[in-house]
Amino acid sequence: MPSQRGSARRRQRCVLLTGIAILLIALVLAAALASVLTGRKEEASPEPLKWQGGGTTRNLREIVLGRCYSYLVEGRVKLGDKDCLKIWESLKAAFIHKNPCNATTKDYQPLMELASHPVPCNKSLFWSRTYDLVHLYSRSNHHFLTLEDTFLGYMLDGLSWCGDPSAPGINYESCPKWSECEGSSGSVFWKMASKMFAEAACGVVHVMLNGSIETGAFRSSSVFGSVEVFNLNPDKISEIRIWLMRDIGGPQSDSCSGNSIKKLRNILEERNFKITCEDNYRPVQLLQCVHNPGHPDCSLCTNSTEAP
Amino acid sequence: MMKSLFLSFLLGSILFMNNFSEVQGRKWKGEGTTQNLESISIGRCYDYIRVVNPAVGEKNCSELWEAFINAFINKDPCNILPQDFELFFKLSLHPIPADKSLFWENNQLLVNSFSDRARRYMTLGDTLFGFFGDFLNWCGKENSTGLDYESCPTAAECENNAVDAFWRMASMTYAQHSSGVVHVLLNGSAEGGAYPVRGFFADYEIPYLQRDKISQIVIWVVDDIEGPNIDSCGYNTVQILEDRLKALGYDVTCTDNYEPVMFLLCLDNPDHSKCTLSSSAPAAAQRGPISSDRGGSWNRLMFVSFVGFLFRSALVH
Repeated sequence: MPSQRGSARRRQRCVLLTGIAILLIALVLAAALASVLTGRKEEASPEPLKWQGGGTTRNLREIVLGRCYSYLVEGRVKLGDKDCLKIWESLKAAFIHKNPCNATTKDYQPLMELASHPVPCNKSLFWSRTYDLVHLYSRSNHHFLTLEDTFLGYMLDGLSWCGDPSAPGINYESCPKWSECEGSSGSVFWKMASKMFAEAACGVVHVMLNGSIETGAFRSSSVFGSVEVFNLNPDKISEIRIWLMRDIGGPQSDSCSGNSIKKLRNILEERNFKITCEDNYRPVQLLQCVHNPGHPDCSLCTNSTEAP
Repeated sequence: MMKSLFLSFLLGSILFMNNFSEVQGRKWKGEGTTQNLESISIGRCYDYIRVVNPAVGEKNCSELWEAFINAFINKDPCNILPQDFELFFKLSLHPIPADKSLFWENNQLLVNSFSDRARRYMTLGDTLFGFFGDFLNWCGKENSTGLDYESCPTAAECENNAVDAFWRMASMTYAQHSSGVVHVLLNGSAEGGAYPVRGFFADYEIPYLQRDKISQIVIWVVDDIEGPNIDSCGYNTVQILEDRLKALGYDVTCTDNYEPVMFLLCLDNPDHSKCTLSSSAPAAAQRGPISSDRGGSWNRLMFVSFVGFLFRSALVH
């Protein structure tokens, strides 16, 4: 009978349509649930904080360890046994998981204790705004030691590091520039290391300043002017010798008789230091000439071409 | 019977001493592998690609280390060949900028200062593969995958030791990838001559230079400031070098006491006569390009004339 078969087919179609509808609703619900869950997961691991400077140097651990062991083998100052792994752990603990603008000297105290060492007298070479030249000089003349030639400075020179409250605790994307916050990891570390380097100095100490800077060779706001100058010990230091270097062919902005050096003299003399100043100290000027051979200020008087 | 007892005692003690020295580990006469070699080398690899010369791009430093040690561990330390390091050099290779190659003999410290860590020139020690191994020491042991930290063979004990094999391959690789104007700095005061006719430059670099990639070879012969002038351009071993390179078809120039390098040597002897700058006058009273000596004698003349004039005037009045 056609009506009975017709109604059975209609019932079948109903069941099928209902089934499809339920399936579709289930799919939609599942999709919605999935997006909610992943959204929550994203909220749980936020992006690291954003800063203006370059991020933590990748493979920081390997680089620091390698430099540590390297210094023990061929470093400028002979040290006893140092535990490089412990030194790395101490550095990491100083900044990992922390907001990099809240660094304190307490964070770095254990590292300073593990890595500090005495500096032989008459060898300390300070500098301000002469990074390339001073290190070229200390690499060529092994008598002098800059902070970056000491164990701690050597391990961390040129590297960047900072923490972040979110996992994994180290920010590889960006780190605060020193100007961004008072307590940035980098500035706290280097100021502490500079203070210790100044405190350790004895005998005759030297400082290389840049006489081609418009704002003056000596600035109170520099690390030298704000930290090192005030941590030199007049009881240990017999003389402070300033080398005022002007770029070959560069602006002759400042000299030993200029105002910024007068200011530096006043600060140091008040603390009972004996100060001398030399414009364009010859050996360092010779080094500048290596990289400016054609310049009229750089031609040697005698050119020997005698045959053997 | 006493004799046989004595002989057996002697034999016994000889055997014991041999065993004892092997137990102690000092098999060779040279210094052992550098302590913590793996950490230093891997650290240097990352230091190079992240800090010293990031332009070389990404390298797998652990893979580099594995390729390096597999060249010489578990082998007879007296039978290591340059080709054993082939994989290491393949992995660590990077372009050497044209006109920046600087070869040298008998002046490593000087040349390092001069090249300024790849900023001015790129010596072998300024490449990743050279930086990796510079100033380090290594050797393995037969039938053991460990490094020998006690001692390593000297070149005299075996020619085919791991360190020399490495540097031979390094030199060949460096020469093969040099291009443009190529420089070589020689020590004119070196005993035996500025150009060692058997040496890394002669045996592993010159033969591997690619003539079609090189436009010129510039030779600098620089004497020590206080040193003897044993060799110069056009003489002795330098002549041998110039002839050899010309015969190979290269355009060759040679300069004695190249000034920029002289400045470096002058660092330790700034007051030496060879180190006077023609423009040196006291900074406070620049009188132009008159040397301080000449300025001094002019001053004296003027002063004496003035005093003489005053004296005469006083007499007259």
